[in-house]
Amino acid sequence: MIAFSNHTEHIRATATTENLSGIREFVGVQIQDCGFSEFEENGVILAVDEVCANLIRHAFSDGKNQYIDISVTIDDRDVRIEIRDTARPFDPSSVQHPNMDEYFRERRVGGLGISLMKRVMDSVEYSPCSPDEPRNTLILTKRHTV
Amino acid sequence: MNLFTAEVKKGVNDSCVITLMGYLDAHTAADLEACFHKAFADGYRRFVVDFEQLDYISSAGLGVFMVFIEDAKRDNGDIKMAAMKPKIFTVFDLLGFPVLFDIYRTVEDAQRAFPAYE
Repeated sequence: MIAFSNHTEHIRATATTENLSGIREFVGVQIQDCGFSEFEENGVILAVDEVCANLIRHAFSDGKNQYIDISVTIDDRDVRIEIRDTARPFDPSSVQHPNMDEYFRERRVGGLGISLMKRVMDSVEYSPCSPDEPRNTLILTKRHTV
Repeated sequence: MNLFTAEVKKGVNDSCVITLMGYLDAHTAADLEACFHKAFADGYRRFVVDFEQLDYISSAGLGVFMVFIEDAKRDNGDIKMAAMKPKIFTVFDLLGFPVLFDIYRTVEDAQRAFPAYE
């Protein structure tokens, strides 16, 4: 059993797609010693990428003046990633997995990022902005496997 | 530094080989889309995509292949994929993409899989 020191790291990124690589690098560095397999590690990075790309492309009308806050908290039980934004509220945890047979038959394009995110994370919780917290908050959790 | 590049070269059996390098995400997917558009304009319908040097793909990258697969197949072509790293294949597999796209171990295997013209 690996003992993890409880800690949180944070990054704030302007909401543009060119910042996705920096966001992935940040998440990758934070979780690199968590004992995840290459697939699990790539999955966590992918999940954060998909959420941020979705925010940038669909939720923000003008990303140049908007930002996304990402914090990664690691403790003995799991890795918890909180993504906060000021875009119009959209709950990705409510999105159902598409029927892939229909998806391919109808030659649809797009709309798979949130599905990927939900497949690789253990839990996804969403809280829209409120009078107490002006930002929407999405919490992605991945349990340690060692 | 280029995060992503896509290069097109003439292949065998009337195919072209699109070699991907780096990171294919929502920022760089437009580069791959432009690459496919040019290859289509050049008359190619048989595509082999070489993934050997691709280190990352997100759903935006998967979406590019969905845009072009129908047009390629309509003209008796196809998009065949080759040499994926396991972590790249996993992303395709999570969404069931191997049902729609043929995935081969090597670029040579993928090129040979195109039938000869009569």
